Amino acid sequence: MENALGIWGPQAIMMAITASFTVLGMIMLLAAMLMKKRWKPSYTVEFVFIGIMLGLVWYADDLSTNTYTAYQQDLNAEEKMVSGNYDGSGEEAFDEVVTVVAFQWGFAFINEDEEISRNALIVRPGEKVLLKIVSNDVIHGFNIPVAQITAEIDPNFKRELWIKAPDVPGKYLIQCVNYCGIGHAQMKAWLVVTDGENNGESA
Amino acid sequence: MASMTMDDPKMGEKAHWEPEDLLSGLTLKQILFSNDYRHMALKGIFTAFIMLALGGMFAIIFRTELAVPDVQFIGARVYMTLMTLHGMVMVFGFLIPLVVSINYYMLPKVLGNDRLLWSGAAQASYWILIVAAVLLMIGRPDFTWTAYAPMSLRTGNPNLWMGYVAIILVAVSEFLAGAVLFRNAISSKGGLKNTPLMGWAAGTIGLLFMVSVFPLGFAGYGMLSDWAQWTDIAWFDPSRGGSIEFFLYVFWTYGHPAVYLPFVPAIAILYTIMPRFLGRPMWSYWSGVVAFTLLAIGAMPIGPHHFQPAHTISGDYQRFVQILTMLVFIPSVMHVFNWISTLFMAPIPDSARRAIPFKFMVFSIAFIVYGGATAFLNAQIAPDSDFIHNTYWIPAHFHAMFFGFSGQMAFAGFYFLYPYITGRMYNQRLGNWHFWLWQVGLFIKITGMGVAGYLYFPRWVYDYLPFPGWANAQMAITIGGYMVALGFLAFLANVFWSAKYGAKVTGDPWPISNDTPEAAAAAPAE
Repeated sequence: MENALGIWGPQAIMMAITASFTVLGMIMLLAAMLMKKRWKPSYTVEFVFIGIMLGLVWYADDLSTNTYTAYQQDLNAEEKMVSGNYDGSGEEAFDEVVTVVAFQWGFAFINEDEEISRNALIVRPGEKVLLKIVSNDVIHGFNIPVAQITAEIDPNFKRELWIKAPDVPGKYLIQCVNYCGIGHAQMKAWLVVTDGENNGESA
Repeated sequence: MASMTMDDPKMGEKAHWEPEDLLSGLTLKQILFSNDYRHMALKGIFTAFIMLALGGMFAIIFRTELAVPDVQFIGARVYMTLMTLHGMVMVFGFLIPLVVSINYYMLPKVLGNDRLLWSGAAQASYWILIVAAVLLMIGRPDFTWTAYAPMSLRTGNPNLWMGYVAIILVAVSEFLAGAVLFRNAISSKGGLKNTPLMGWAAGTIGLLFMVSVFPLGFAGYGMLSDWAQWTDIAWFDPSRGGSIEFFLYVFWTYGHPAVYLPFVPAIAILYTIMPRFLGRPMWSYWSGVVAFTLLAIGAMPIGPHHFQPAHTISGDYQRFVQILTMLVFIPSVMHVFNWISTLFMAPIPDSARRAIPFKFMVFSIAFIVYGGATAFLNAQIAPDSDFIHNTYWIPAHFHAMFFGFSGQMAFAGFYFLYPYITGRMYNQRLGNWHFWLWQVGLFIKITGMGVAGYLYFPRWVYDYLPFPGWANAQMAITIGGYMVALGFLAFLANVFWSAKYGAKVTGDPWPISNDTPEAAAAAPAE
């Protein structure tokens, strides 16, 4: 269920609902300014409106929570899913487990062989990668646009997420989105997807 | 008694103040120390305009820097200082004082007291805020207005204590302002059922002010104490045993109600001037009362949605916050429904359509719809942990709400008051320039921010990678920002020119009239 903007699934539904609020509000306001015929809406109209809102709150909560938790349960259930939270069991399902250290100002990626890479997370196309993220100084953000995931990393806690690497080899942005000090703008890294031949240089 | 108030159904017939030239007669002593509500409100309003000019200037500087990728003329430290001051000056120096001052001006007439109770506290609130603003300008903090510990404790500026002290002073100042609003609200003589909606707004938001500033003051004190290390106790610095989670909860327990502090008084201005221009009461009084009450109740517990995709909040509690945040959407929907129904239920007089304050009011409703609808989306954990958290999507949302709605509503209030305080009418042509430059500029700016946010443009960066989507959105935001600045210049020219040369107003400056006989026949029979 991908829409014109390339948004899929629950996200697309919620974006569409939000957009229709805006459009509905604008139409009502335009009508109030321009229409010749006028009448006084009754309280029933407002109650119906609030009722619809309550229904949407229930629906949105359900959808959002299910979307958010479904990531953890079955990694192969939905091919479209590219990232999610990890609840701490079933590590063997992942192709790669990487520890990420967020620091002022950059990221260090430590793979299972304890090899450290500064500012490059090197993976193979389509791999499922578990990221265990820690910060050793201040609150950082961790965002991979291509995997559609953002997390806030508090010091003293380990935050675990997983991503499915893109199928197309290339360099994809990893960035900090929480202001973390003067070097925040430079706190970027690359998700390098390589099939072993061109080392990610194609993009 | 009730017929004296602006909320009265018949108030469209009445002028509530006599238009007079208050400004040119002011002595220095009156400006500094007069406890007359009009003097104090005018002082607050014009100070807020100075703050807007300052905050706007900061924005124009860094907007110019951001228009194209790479570093042009300012580096990270200057950028972050300007950005931090922009946020703090605009919210604490411009927006909250402006809407509160306009409420100070209107409340005495709306409630029929003809004086502001506890005006000494309002005076103290003003001067404490001035001290805070001066400290901010000297201290020049660069930790953003959210001041996340421990980052905010580890910046190198030796004057940084001034930033923390300013935060404490802002809390004290806002507490006093809230006390004044609350005291005046409960002075309404008709009892709860006859308190005008502006009184309900002042009562609920006054309470919220007074309760919510304690965490802010404590956050300021805790950071000051941690930064100075004057005791062994560390509140927020984890390297000395403090807790970041504690900071987040403390800060956002203030930080979320804080967004309603300008919002609700702006709504109060709308409820006061809309019936005045239409010459008929609001669609529903009780809908407004219920909405104000629900908003005040719902505001406090939902702060954690600001740090939603963090380890700090998870599980059922996170879900509770998600649901409650979406539910707080409902009071705002009730307000908007009320306003649109009021506009819709009978014809709109031509005199209103022409009036600059009315136009600002209608377009501020458009902006609350435009920016407010996304609140429903932002509350949800799934999209929040995708492109919403800390990308430009968030500035798009709060610029629409803070500026597009609250700020523009405050300007509607000021244009409405203009003939009462100068005895002259503003210049219509300059007013129209201001109006259109702001509507178009704000729309471009807010939409540009939304697009940038959707493309994961991170907040708080002075330099960015030259992706075409990012660069185009940034250029659009800068163009919109320049238009807003031009509109502000037109506004300033209008204020100064019209105070001297504007058409003299006697009697009611806002008479209700229609241009054609048919329209007049359809107008309310008052």
